[in-house]
Amino acid sequence: MFPLRRFRVEDDSMRPELEPGDYVLVNRWAYKFRPPAKGDLVVVRDPETPDRFLVKRVSDIPDAGQIRVAGDNANRSRDSRTFGPIDLREIVGKVWIRLR
Amino acid sequence: MSLLYLLARWLDRITPAPIAYAHCDIPCGIYDPQHAQLAAHTVVRMVDLINQLEKPGASATPEQRQEYTNKLARYIATKEQHSEIAKSEIRILWGDYFKPEHLKTFPELHDLVWKALKSGSKARQEISLQAAEDLLKATNDIASIYWKTKGFETITAKAPYPTERLTVYPKFK
Repeated sequence: MFPLRRFRVEDDSMRPELEPGDYVLVNRWAYKFRPPAKGDLVVVRDPETPDRFLVKRVSDIPDAGQIRVAGDNANRSRDSRTFGPIDLREIVGKVWIRLR
Repeated sequence: MSLLYLLARWLDRITPAPIAYAHCDIPCGIYDPQHAQLAAHTVVRMVDLINQLEKPGASATPEQRQEYTNKLARYIATKEQHSEIAKSEIRILWGDYFKPEHLKTFPELHDLVWKALKSGSKARQEISLQAAEDLLKATNDIASIYWKTKGFETITAKAPYPTERLTVYPKFK
């Protein structure tokens, strides 16, 4: 499995960090050796719509197997406040660089 | 705009990047091709009704002519309205639901949408059963792709409406 995967960002819950139209390169191996940390930018599978991806920031780590995510732009974001915590295996990877 | 950005954008032409949503707007995600199919059925039905309508002959009374005109006007108005509903529903699916990755799996989608919109316009402009049938066929084909993207098989069955045309339905598990 190639560690890098590219995603195109859509919508604006992560403004100003990520703008719609930006690309992100995601490191899929980032959490092989260390757990996610609060503040990490991650791409996760949408718990409410499989086959769809979300890019969010890790807001909390309630236990070893789960994270909570939130959008930076809180009033314009659907995140763990609506769908609750996310299993670690639903994380695609950590955003490594942003291309704009 | 960085060079890497341009490279990523160029790569999209070869293999589109999946989208990571920083979701904001109402993520309603509620789409269904049935609206378009239903509207297309209505258009077919209106053309049928118009064709079945007996035209007033030379000896028709003013009342008979008036009744004819009234019915014809109502059928045409409904045909206009529902052709437009079908077109609008197709545009919603096209603009809001279908994504580049769907288009990669179903490259015929572009042509289908185009055909649906064109036949929708023709069905409005003319009293053409062919145009109405083409519109229905295009909405069925789009529905079949829609359900595949949702992971459902489809069946094609006679609609339980007076049109009785073949219609694509999802096979819900």
